[in-house]
Amino acid sequence: MTLTATSFDWVRQLVHRESAIVLQPGKEYLVEARLLPMAQQRGMSGVSELVESVRNRPDPATTRRIVEALTTNETSWFRDGDPFTALTSTVLPQLLAARRPDERLQIWSAACSSGQEAYTIAMLLADALPNAPTRVSITATDLSQQMVERTRAGRFSQLEVNRGLPATMLVRHFTRSGNEWEIAPALRRMITASECNLAAPLPRMGPFDVVYLRNVLIYFDLPTKQAILTRVRQLMRPDGWLFLGAAETTLGVDENWERVVLGRGSAYRPRKGA
Amino acid sequence: MTLQEAPPITALLDPETVQSIADEIWPTLVGDGEAFVPVPVAPPAEVVSAWVTISGPWNGAVVLTCAPATAGALAESVLMTRPPTVVDDEDVADALGELANVLGGNIKSVLPGPSSLGLPQIGSAPTTGRLDDVCRVNGQWRGQSLTITVQGATQALHPSGTEVPQ
Amino acid sequence: MRALVIDDSRAMRRIVGSILKDFGFEVREAGDGQQALDALQEGKAEGWVPDLCCIDWNMPVMDGLQFVVAVRANPELRQVTLMMVTTESETGQIVKALAAGAHEYLIKPFTADALRDKLALLGLLPEEVSA
Ligand SMILES: C[S@@+](CC[C@H](N)C(=O)[O-])C[C@H]1O[C@@H](n2cnc3c(N)ncnc32)[C@H](O)[C@@H]1O
Repeated sequence: MTLTATSFDWVRQLVHRESAIVLQPGKEYLVEARLLPMAQQRGMSGVSELVESVRNRPDPATTRRIVEALTTNETSWFRDGDPFTALTSTVLPQLLAARRPDERLQIWSAACSSGQEAYTIAMLLADALPNAPTRVSITATDLSQQMVERTRAGRFSQLEVNRGLPATMLVRHFTRSGNEWEIAPALRRMITASECNLAAPLPRMGPFDVVYLRNVLIYFDLPTKQAILTRVRQLMRPDGWLFLGAAETTLGVDENWERVVLGRGSAYRPRKGA
Repeated sequence: MTLQEAPPITALLDPETVQSIADEIWPTLVGDGEAFVPVPVAPPAEVVSAWVTISGPWNGAVVLTCAPATAGALAESVLMTRPPTVVDDEDVADALGELANVLGGNIKSVLPGPSSLGLPQIGSAPTTGRLDDVCRVNGQWRGQSLTITVQGATQALHPSGTEVPQ
Repeated sequence: MRALVIDDSRAMRRIVGSILKDFGFEVREAGDGQQALDALQEGKAEGWVPDLCCIDWNMPVMDGLQFVVAVRANPELRQVTLMMVTTESETGQIVKALAAGAHEYLIKPFTADALRDKLALLGLLPEEVSA
């Protein structure tokens, strides 16, 4: 049974309301592919049957699972390289010089997926600073409860550690556990993971010195991007740094940011007086 | 090597771990969307096996067994979109052997180490003297029977590799 | 860019080789460590030095670790980047290969994306691909 137009529309609206993710017409195949396993698990014949059943008997746990199933959690270690090179070569030295030694640096991996971004940062800081666990705290958040739990667990499959993690870091910071790899407890303790919907009012957090908001704005429409950039800026220190994904920019979206070229990549900083 | 009794394989490895390893290998090595499904089907009349041996604190072999036609289809799938399009017997032995090798290496890493891996072999499954000492997943691929057997042995099945001076 | 793919499985040589070709590499193959040393010797005569060697661990005649040691002992081959591509994945073995002079380590099974990520780490991706 294929997905009916009403079912698709219902899913599209649900996902937009709960996550701000935009599912354009034409993404029927995506909805079908992501929800079919859930439908099958419940002994249902297809996605439309699943949708009909939650429409008739609303159930927050199931709607939540539907929304989570439609997030794209693709990620890797040191993704795109530059934002991490810039952290140790430019951002960290400047922040260390600007802050008191007893001030904890606060870094946020917003939309952290399974945690590779946050742990990439933790490994770099642990290698760069002898007192990293007391000097820095890393907040990792995602809309998806499942992703937050994975980040907390700090366990990665063989296929995941193969994606961009330098072998020297694998052997230095991970131990094998069955056929998975587990991050060192000291690094795991540097990270606090929690659920957070970027498209809704943000909880009290920060103020952050560095924010990684990468490969998530691409899923939103322009007003949502603007609202998120505004809220994120309000949680940042005035001399903080924002890293976006390779295909993302504040230019033409929110003029309250200044783009700075760092090596081969770029970062954004709150514009003075904004 | 050591004649000291190693723990039985069932104390070291469970079928779920073997399955999770196969779950990583099939989509990457056999092809996009491919899966080793852990639901047994009737075993074929004629079978061929590819295996690698493991020597160390635990001795034994990791064996992949299926019908010759399934082995041919696996080889075609592994080599898909890559020339030559016609697979010969050597291609089949090579592809099945490499599947056994990748399974074996990943299973070895879950077992007590350090240990070494033998080169892939193909033919009828090795006999080892501890035939009751197995962890086996009977399953299927594209509806055809496929079995992964992790088989304990009383002694090392291959000479330990040459050590490289550091 | 030039690569030498060293694996006793021709299926694996084809898989690694075809991904590397997609990234613009000119690829040669060898079936074991000794054949690979011979290929390097022959290449030298025609001015063909690889930028990258992808090296399986378990092979007949000369294994991948012995090959790494042999290449590292040869000052003429100092520029060559060495990456293990193997199913061997015990922590101790990864450490051993890195200590012997391998620059990176990719565990089988791997996806084309994973190989690409490693090439990016090693600075061996052409600009248009890494963009
Ligand atoms: C492609 S991943 C990016 C992961 C990582 N930042 C990176 O660059 O590799 C996108 C993540 O955004 C999350 N996400 C989607 N909508 C969100 C929202 N409204 N609030 C918070 N996270 C969201 C998804 O759950 C997913 O894990």
